[in-house]
Amino acid sequence: MEISTSQHAGNLVIHIHANRLDAASAMTFKQAVEAALPDKGAGIILDLAEVSFMDSSGLGAVVAVHKGLHGGQIKVVGLQQAVQELFRLTRMDRIFQCHGSVNEAIKA
Amino acid sequence: MRGMILGAGKGTRVRPITASIPKPMIPILRRPLMESIILQLKKFGVDELIVNTSYLAPVLESYFRDGFQYGVELCYSYEGELQNGELVGKALGSGGGLKKVQDQSHFFDDTFVVVCGDAWFDLDFKEAIDFHRRSGGLATIITKTLPDDLLVRYGVVKTDDNGRVLAFQEKPPVGTAISNQVNTGIYIFEPEIFNYIPADKVSDIGGDLFPELARQRLPFYAKNFDFQWLDVGNITDIWQVTSDVLSGKITGYPIPGHEERPGIHIGINCVVDLDNIHISGPVVIGSGTRIEKGANLIGPLVIGQNCFIEAGATVKHSIIDDYTFLSGAASVEDRMLYNGYCIDHQGNHITLEEIGARWILQDVREAQVPSDISAQLMDLSGAVPFGDTREKRSS
Repeated sequence: MEISTSQHAGNLVIHIHANRLDAASAMTFKQAVEAALPDKGAGIILDLAEVSFMDSSGLGAVVAVHKGLHGGQIKVVGLQQAVQELFRLTRMDRIFQCHGSVNEAIKA
Repeated sequence: MRGMILGAGKGTRVRPITASIPKPMIPILRRPLMESIILQLKKFGVDELIVNTSYLAPVLESYFRDGFQYGVELCYSYEGELQNGELVGKALGSGGGLKKVQDQSHFFDDTFVVVCGDAWFDLDFKEAIDFHRRSGGLATIITKTLPDDLLVRYGVVKTDDNGRVLAFQEKPPVGTAISNQVNTGIYIFEPEIFNYIPADKVSDIGGDLFPELARQRLPFYAKNFDFQWLDVGNITDIWQVTSDVLSGKITGYPIPGHEERPGIHIGINCVVDLDNIHISGPVVIGSGTRIEKGANLIGPLVIGQNCFIEAGATVKHSIIDDYTFLSGAASVEDRMLYNGYCIDHQGNHITLEEIGARWILQDVREAQVPSDISAQLMDLSGAVPFGDTREKRSS
């Protein structure tokens, strides 16, 4: 699991370079994202454009990162169809703001 | 009277529902369309019926068998061949299919009825046949007047004051339709019609036969009748028709179960406490289904048989297949769950396997996929069930 970060208009964007976020990669994901996190309370943009599949462990890891932000918002961007449907079917599309692209997330 | 139901269509526009069933078996409120068609024909004495089959023929033939259960006689005309032990369909088109039956046995020896197998209708066939006999044509097309925006999907006819067809136009491009009088795929024919259908050739009634009759200026008629006609041409239609039946916009279509409260239809052997779920009709709950206290059901909604819906789950504006398990962490809105597919009302679809959703949505008969995050998700999303159902279940 590789991640990279970038700054867009003052927002930290964390890019996930993996096509599966599942039991095998969830823990690495969580640790890598937490290591890249800014101060508590700040928000991040999570770029999942490369992720084509996420299972309950993957979703659990995203939720754990969200909790670790202590009130900071996660905006998720670039959801592929399967991941978007999973967010929808678990109501997580109402907990996380979902956007098509980083630019849309910044504007929102 | 004799008739034919056109049942060989693949239903490409109704995928993935038609991945496992042929088009005439598309279920509306759990009942295959063709079942309603047979019953309507039988009501008017059309009880010797040929059904041409091709795509997934055995599925249709083993469901409908010989028609005894409907009080009719059914016979199949299979279009295709057995190759290396496998049936390979070769559909002949609506015209070619009719012709094949006639060439085999001269089955149609008097006025007969032909209907497409992918619509529900409550046409009064007595009135229609009376009209046909009075007009004395080779064929009568039963039509309905539809608004401009729907014409591109159908064949339209232009008639004179007596109903005689002057021109027939199949699927006219937007703005070019010659009338608003639409072919419903319900026809009455005289056996002489076979003189105008080529043998051993794929041909279509709407695409070939009618334009040919019009070209030769042969006497055939089209007549508007006042009846309900629900054409199920795509996934959106399935949802539209289902919700129209449930909301009462369409009357006379059988809704399964008994109406426990206004708009709430429940089958037998269900476990559901209507006072302790959030339910807003119209909702159909299939037999054998269990629904925990604290579930949210918002209609129009159809839940199949033997489902299990956990406390906290939300199901809204959807059609849920038999044997579906819905975890409390699940929220299914504007979806059709069918045969492992999750389909939206526009027809976009993905399998539950691809979504990685088996821990919230699966077959109740499978060993349950464990999930340690369901409870967290429910807390996060505020899907808090009534009372203490969760504690009770885990004890």
